[in-house]
Amino acid sequence: MKLSRLFILAVIFVMILSACGPAAEAPEAEEPVGVDPTEICENDDFGCAVIAPGQTIKIGMGSPMTGGNAAFGIDAEQAGMIAVADAGEHEGFQFELIAEDDGGTPEGGAAVANKFAADPTVVGVAGHLFSGATFAAMPIYEELGIPMLSPSATNPDLTRQGSRVFNRVPFTDEAQGQAAAEYMFNDLGFRKVAFLHDGQDYGKGLAEIAAATFESLGGEVVELMGITPGEADYSPVLSTIAAQSPDALYFGGYTQEGVVLTNNMPTSGMEYVVFFGCDGTFGVDYLARTGANGEGTYHATPRTPPETPEKDGFDAAYQERWGQAPGELSPFSWNSYDTTTMLIKMVKEVSFVGTDGSLYIPRGALVDAVRNLTSYVGISGTYTCFPDGDCNIEGPTFWIVENGDFVAVN
Amino acid sequence: MDANQSSPPKLTRRNYSKIIRPIFGILVLGYILWRLYLVLIVEQAYSAEVWVRLLISGLIIGGVYALIAIGYTLVYGILFMINFAHGEVMMIGTFAGYFLFEITKGINVAGAGNPPLSFSDAYPFLSVILAFLVGMTVSATAGYFLEKIAYRPLRGAPRLIPLISAIGASFFLQNAAQLLFSPQVRDYANPQAIARGSGWNLMINESRIVITYTGVLTFVLSILLMIGLYVMVQKTKLGKAMRAVASDKKTAALMGIDVDAIISRTFIISGALAGAAGVMWGLHNGLVHFYVGFLPGIKAFTAAVLGGIGNIPGAMLGGMFLGLVESLGPTALGISFQLKDVIAFLIMIVILVFRPSGLLGEVLSEEKV
Amino acid sequence: MNKETIRTGSQKGLLFGIVMIFLVLINFHIMAATMISKVLGTNVLRGAFPEVRFMIIFLVIFGMWAGWSAVRREGSTTNKLFEGLIGGMTTGLVVALFGLILFFLLETQTDVRRYLTALSFASIDIFLLGLRGMGILTLFGLFTLTGVLGGALAVGLRSQAVANFIKKIKTSIRNLRQRITDSLPDNVKKYGKYIFYLLLLVLLLLLPARWGSYNNFVFGMVGIYVILGIGLNIMLGLSGQFMIGIAALFAMGAYSVALLNSPFPHGLMWGFWPSLAVGVVMAVIGGLLLGLPIMRLRGDYLGIVTLGFGEIIRILLNSDLLTDLTGGPRGIQNIQQPTFLGMPFNDVSYAYLIIIAMAVSIFLYYRIENSRTGRAWLSIKEDALVSQATGVDVQKYKLLALCVGAAFAGLAGGIFAARNQFTGPNDHTLMVSINVLSVVIVGGINSIPGIILGSFALRGLPELLRELETYRLLVFGALLVFMMIVRPEGLWPASRPDLEEKGNTGLKEDLDPEENEGRSDD
Repeated sequence: MKLSRLFILAVIFVMILSACGPAAEAPEAEEPVGVDPTEICENDDFGCAVIAPGQTIKIGMGSPMTGGNAAFGIDAEQAGMIAVADAGEHEGFQFELIAEDDGGTPEGGAAVANKFAADPTVVGVAGHLFSGATFAAMPIYEELGIPMLSPSATNPDLTRQGSRVFNRVPFTDEAQGQAAAEYMFNDLGFRKVAFLHDGQDYGKGLAEIAAATFESLGGEVVELMGITPGEADYSPVLSTIAAQSPDALYFGGYTQEGVVLTNNMPTSGMEYVVFFGCDGTFGVDYLARTGANGEGTYHATPRTPPETPEKDGFDAAYQERWGQAPGELSPFSWNSYDTTTMLIKMVKEVSFVGTDGSLYIPRGALVDAVRNLTSYVGISGTYTCFPDGDCNIEGPTFWIVENGDFVAVN
Repeated sequence: MDANQSSPPKLTRRNYSKIIRPIFGILVLGYILWRLYLVLIVEQAYSAEVWVRLLISGLIIGGVYALIAIGYTLVYGILFMINFAHGEVMMIGTFAGYFLFEITKGINVAGAGNPPLSFSDAYPFLSVILAFLVGMTVSATAGYFLEKIAYRPLRGAPRLIPLISAIGASFFLQNAAQLLFSPQVRDYANPQAIARGSGWNLMINESRIVITYTGVLTFVLSILLMIGLYVMVQKTKLGKAMRAVASDKKTAALMGIDVDAIISRTFIISGALAGAAGVMWGLHNGLVHFYVGFLPGIKAFTAAVLGGIGNIPGAMLGGMFLGLVESLGPTALGISFQLKDVIAFLIMIVILVFRPSGLLGEVLSEEKV
Repeated sequence: MNKETIRTGSQKGLLFGIVMIFLVLINFHIMAATMISKVLGTNVLRGAFPEVRFMIIFLVIFGMWAGWSAVRREGSTTNKLFEGLIGGMTTGLVVALFGLILFFLLETQTDVRRYLTALSFASIDIFLLGLRGMGILTLFGLFTLTGVLGGALAVGLRSQAVANFIKKIKTSIRNLRQRITDSLPDNVKKYGKYIFYLLLLVLLLLLPARWGSYNNFVFGMVGIYVILGIGLNIMLGLSGQFMIGIAALFAMGAYSVALLNSPFPHGLMWGFWPSLAVGVVMAVIGGLLLGLPIMRLRGDYLGIVTLGFGEIIRILLNSDLLTDLTGGPRGIQNIQQPTFLGMPFNDVSYAYLIIIAMAVSIFLYYRIENSRTGRAWLSIKEDALVSQATGVDVQKYKLLALCVGAAFAGLAGGIFAARNQFTGPNDHTLMVSINVLSVVIVGGINSIPGIILGSFALRGLPELLRELETYRLLVFGALLVFMMIVRPEGLWPASRPDLEEKGNTGLKEDLDPEENEGRSDD
């Protein structure tokens, strides 16, 4: 009995041994035909990624694809797939999106980052989606020089770390929170506002900054409170706030909770209170699911998303391929498409075919190229990356819902 | 247990719980009373209509919790196992109701008004009954197969084993729903007559309180189902057989009761109740997605334990109590709504510390606990 | 060819047909064909569809399985073949009916993806083998044929000759092993176990430096769950306290290391080692605070209270109330890396650190288990009343078990936080507690090798299953149920499941009341 168990253990260890493959291969090939990669790669800070003929250029993506936040991850993957399909071939090489499930947790983020790090053909990461996972993943990419371009990680501390590889396109809370408070106080004339947030890093930061600005302007913050995310009924918290009869309810968070709050307001004594959302609640999904309750609510976006043919093309392609409209699963469909496309574009710019027919991508140059992105017109906005890694800090556009559609108000 | 401890007095030198428990209780109760005093008497920030609204939402959610909690309690009473996948059974029921309403919305009834009404708008009563029937049937089937596949092979195994099997089943069902229906959040298409947010208006202090139709439906139906279940367990042959199996499987088998069949039926009944709760959830809260069963499942499990697991009136009481605490607690204590689960769990811990087998739980024999 | 034959065959066939429909509805047939294609050496890009021939291979395997399981143990060969045929035909019929619906959807270009998200035209097309209408008939024919093949396989493999052959192989393997053991010198035989452990040690020392950062990461995760599992086993397995809130104690260790060792929010830079010690102490305090009020609770009531405790801690860590103290939902970043002899830690050194921590934990566990305390715990688990009567201070020992278990959880948490350089409330959810509980039970209660195997199964397997993309948790859930049904006592059950086998006499000696008088204060 004892021996058989030891035997099992031994077999397992042998299996593990055999499962772990050899480490990354070094670039070989030094034939004096075509572009000689040796010099460029040796001078590059992180060396080159080498894509042998037949391999694909891999763009990673780390997102929650299972569990309560799965909608975000699935949406990002679906949008990214469209981006890869649109990218086409480059010098005979294909792009491939490797979306991995990080559960949105730091632990999962580190696991996925390590997985990508072990694959020498992963050249960039369009992610991670959640800030916690991003924090844990960042140091691993930093070491290898894999540029990150997150569609949705909004924690302001992410770009304060002095990271060379981390960039993001979403709007940070600071600019939006201040602008929203000023807009509510100056343009809409609200004096008493309740601030709610979903208790996650993005919504909380937003609501806190908005509340602080609102107070400094002379307004009265009747409540600044977090709610439990993911619930289906928020009437108790709304009833309590209604007792203080605010002019408006500011909410920092995402569509899911925003919809429930909006739908609960009429039955909780808040039928005359204006719901003021943020860029997390902006989207067709909000309109579809609030209906009449959503009329007269305010939302924000980074800047007017351009109504370009590319955007229409993406919308059509997304609907065609996945049977859903973009924005139905999460507000980040367009951001995810843009981040993947930007990474692909930068890869196309810095890469070259070596003498051996392989594609060489100098990692350091790619990192710098992403950081130096200027005036890139995507389908979700025009992006210029700043030295700290924020690619989108221009003032927000506010929207009001009228007759079931968003109308820009500033 | 305490009575036994006193028999060899020399050996119980330090009975920590005798000292710790009162201290703990006084601390928590003192804090709660102080906060209540502060909010209700000193500040008086909230007038009657706020309390009425909170009470209404507490009763509605409490009814749903109670129905799901009964499912936990029935299964626990017979198998002494926590059916961790019960929340997922409810989710399946919610989806079944969703699809029924989508279908009835899609059927146009010819000649019934202009523009043509859909079936669910023309016959709201019938379509709601249909939705409940479908939801309960589908959930009951799910419960039956869950037991057959994941639990029956483990009959007789230590009690933690089926728990893990239940966790696995819960993962499976959740992810299956996600893969089948996508993680998208969907809206329930209520019949027009019981649209969400519509209801009777009640004026208190010149403030409108809406008693929603869906809320009344949820509350009344959950009470009716609970009464029905109670009567069934107490009066019918099946109920007697269930109680017999719960108290002693071996003897029940010797008395000619088919234990396996009774266990199957228990799962069917608890599944049906979860399905009803799921359809109610969908009608009242209006949304359904693959994760919809997780939180109510945990809450209802808490409620079942709070009331004394294995005890059917206890589950009802626990569910109602939990619903009310969740709804009224944060406001009454003047605490952020973010911490409402903290309040609920803390009150549960306090109750269990003083009544170690729940509100209505009898002091169970050793082998049952 | 009686009624029974037809009944079993059609029942099994129906079951397999329904399973097949389910698989198609979640697009798993594409995934399966992709996996087959990858195994056979044709890579399929993410988001692309595999070739039809791999789909056919998948369907053939599935159909043969259906036929195989429709065959009963008894009956003649023709009967068995007939059963396979019936099974395959029923499956084929069900699948063909379903295929007819799919074909209808395809022909009318009806998009049902609003409700059934996976059912795209491309997916339907490949399921009908690209033959559209003919595909339905082909599917029916294919399943019927493979059903018979499966039946034939069952006849072949379950026959007496094959059974004898397998028996023979088994005996010869046993003989071979016996001969090898016999031929070994006595010393080797005597110290065989130690030699094995030595080899294991060498392997563990060599591996982390060789196998890359990803494997180190996964291995580290497994190791951390081993430590957590040992901690939980002390509470659950040794002293019989049902605990579902170990994530809270894990969080205490993690947050102690994080807060005392990062520039924000407090700017304390104590260094890793002192803060790890504080983390362990904090977790013990947490276990004590949890244990004191709830000592009277037992069984599932204890479980739900600890679950509530875990949730309370997580919500508090995330809440506005404690944001200034814990960083709230943003968590704590930039946790400083430990140094050892002036060398900063990297993935390899963390692997070694975790190996050492694991080894220390295992050593301590065995010491405790075989000590007087361990025996007292086991006696409490068996019967609290009797052990109270024999002089075991039940409450003291229960509390002690919680505290000792918490120390392990704190240790694991501290290493975990430092290794990720970040920790936040999402790292300490209910799922962590449930995972640890599953590790212990899947592996085998009170069995250290079991816990290690369980950790590999529960933490390593989801990483291996990454190939399955979004299906991994689905498959994982099914495997969990399967593992429990196949091995309810755990992957590697403890060799001493209860005291009745040999521990009883020793226990009585150890816990003799008179002897206990003099020793009660230790």
